[in-house]
Amino acid sequence: MAHFAQYREAHPLPFIIFHYINLGAFLTLLISGIFIHYPWLPMVMGMARGAHITAAIVLLINLFIRIFLALFVCTATSPGTRQMEREIKAWLPQPENRHQFIPWLKYYLFMKKEHPLTAKFNPVQKLAYMFLPFSFLFMAITGFAMWGPTMNWVICEAFTNLVGGLMNVRIIHYAMMIVNIIFLIIHLYMVITEGGIPLIKLMFLQREHGGYTYDIETHAISGKDEKEYPKLLS
Amino acid sequence: MDEKVLSTEFEELLSSRGVTRRGFLQLCGTIAAATGLAHITVPDVAHAIEDSVIGAAEGNLFPVIWIEGASCTGCTEAFAQIDEPDPATVVLEMISCNYNETLSFAAGHSVEEAKAQTIKQCAGKYVLVYEGALLEGWDGWALRVAEETGVNAFLEAAENAFGVVALGSCAVNGGWMGSKKTPAGAIGCQALMAKHGITTPVINIPGCPANPEWLVAVLVDVVMMGVLPELNIDNKPALIFEQAIHENCQRRGHFENGEFVYKFGSEEEKMGFCLYAMGCRGPQTKANCGIVRYNRRRSWCVEAGSPCIGCCEANPMDSSHNWVDVNASFHERHRDLRIGNWVVQPRTIGLAAIGIVTAAVIIHGFGMKASKRLDGAIRFESQREWDAKHPNEAIGYYGADRTIIHEDGTKEVISAEEFEERVQADYESTLKKLGAAAASAVAGGVKAAEEATEATAEEAQAETVEPVEEAETEVVEAPEETEAEAVEAAEEAEDAVEEENEESKGGQE
Repeated sequence: MAHFAQYREAHPLPFIIFHYINLGAFLTLLISGIFIHYPWLPMVMGMARGAHITAAIVLLINLFIRIFLALFVCTATSPGTRQMEREIKAWLPQPENRHQFIPWLKYYLFMKKEHPLTAKFNPVQKLAYMFLPFSFLFMAITGFAMWGPTMNWVICEAFTNLVGGLMNVRIIHYAMMIVNIIFLIIHLYMVITEGGIPLIKLMFLQREHGGYTYDIETHAISGKDEKEYPKLLS
Repeated sequence: MDEKVLSTEFEELLSSRGVTRRGFLQLCGTIAAATGLAHITVPDVAHAIEDSVIGAAEGNLFPVIWIEGASCTGCTEAFAQIDEPDPATVVLEMISCNYNETLSFAAGHSVEEAKAQTIKQCAGKYVLVYEGALLEGWDGWALRVAEETGVNAFLEAAENAFGVVALGSCAVNGGWMGSKKTPAGAIGCQALMAKHGITTPVINIPGCPANPEWLVAVLVDVVMMGVLPELNIDNKPALIFEQAIHENCQRRGHFENGEFVYKFGSEEEKMGFCLYAMGCRGPQTKANCGIVRYNRRRSWCVEAGSPCIGCCEANPMDSSHNWVDVNASFHERHRDLRIGNWVVQPRTIGLAAIGIVTAAVIIHGFGMKASKRLDGAIRFESQREWDAKHPNEAIGYYGADRTIIHEDGTKEVISAEEFEERVQADYESTLKKLGAAAASAVAGGVKAAEEATEATAEEAQAETVEPVEEAETEVVEAPEETEAEAVEAAEEAEDAVEEENEESKGGQE
């Protein structure tokens, strides 16, 4: 058992729902976007555009709700603990993250053998997740700048002029999609290799799992949970 | 009132030229439509033209200077094809065109004299129509007419004008002459004026060539109604360049239905399907081409079967944002990107980036497997690296007693040191199991290989396939099948480790 315990406090129900909505909207945007970019499957063009815009708006609203929730909902901001704090702390620099960026990079690059201690999100991961909201907003403004009904909004027009025309907007939108696909690949890889099945079960089904426990007061491992957790949702 | 209108001098002028009142109002309607005005404004347009033309009889026509810069004269040619009003009417009766290299009857010294007089005597009262790019290359020694460089001729005329109409994409920002391959240093009117601090209002009418209907619409606004048309952020007439071509395209229905042309000369092209897949720039080019159309409103690019190539795309202040560089290659999805001499589509870079990351992830995955981390051989650091080096500023306190929650839920409290020992022991035993499993798997494999070389090909096949099914019953009875035992032992060891790993796999996200 060389991992932290997976407790439900790390990802309370609102965030699980958020994650499901994100997943659905993200995949919808990705697939419909590919059909809009070039009509590979011509007959779905109308549907793809409808789905793309709907999913974009859903994703955007979801993002704002998520930011709102982060300010008010309490979660475990460190792994393997049931001690909770405001979720926003997980997004700001935490004591757990201090001086840990380099060790994490070294660990990922096999230059360090021991697994560094961490907060719920390690520094590298935190930067990647912090990038996401900006990426979504950027995708949204480039998208709305290209969509007929909104392209003449002041903010969209100003953005279009800033980047030098709609062709550049289109290329930026496309490039951001590539960046998001790369994020998705790395995210999936990290989830599978770092968290594995227990994390996937926690994130999608709220099933808990034992492992090392952590104390946010001492900022250190506090013990180990070897309990047999029920297999089904309880 | 009817009597008053019918008895105007203007009416007589029209009838003497064989134009009926109905025909005149049709012209006004056309102009109103081209300007984007509602039909209720037709009487206003009529009055404006009447007033202006009545003024013409008294010699008060609005003076216009039309200068050719670095142009192909395409905009003039397009203008020469206009029918309502015909060019002669525009030039002779709507405006007083005092200078135009292509259309002026006078030539040489006399026409240059006419220009100089207009600039001097009508300062602040004439309109400058500039067609073609301005060239800053060769130290400005280009476009010389009457010993004057093109840039100087423009600046002198622009400085004293009531307004400058930059006609065509070249005049707006250099157009195709501004593209990267040319050494001409082409620049648009507005940018050059800004450089020299000239504040005369500029109206940009892009297009290659610019639609003459747009010019007439602007002339009606400026010359006859005495107002500048409503301009957008790029100083283009807002009503003409507000919506994308895509919004008003006659093939839009096919776009929505998902009916596309993928190849020229195909059945789809014959059916008039949407040209989006052929690289049509309609969705990102703002102009009302689909409404006004070209060639006496007969047809326009997309109607004629050509995907839009975005010739109206022009940022007045940036000649690198010319429509050719922005849109070429015209049949590709995106513009070409240039990195040094390398011309590449964004798609190539995107797919390469995804490919590299995927390959990196796969290689990292092999690393995870080789380092046995994937199999659970992970040991947490007993304290942070930084804390170990800076004990006085340590972030964590690592000396607290540790609590172990057992399977049955009971708790055991042990010292930090004892806990660390157990952690180390756990880690080592995992490594040992993994090592044993790997070793026995290798041993089994080697042994099987040795025996396989001794046996015939058929026997070897039978022996390596069957034991998996028969292992449980045959292992005891058939001691000669030693490789089966070895393989099975290796599999069991691996299974045991895998089961354990699966159970123990936890940790942070």
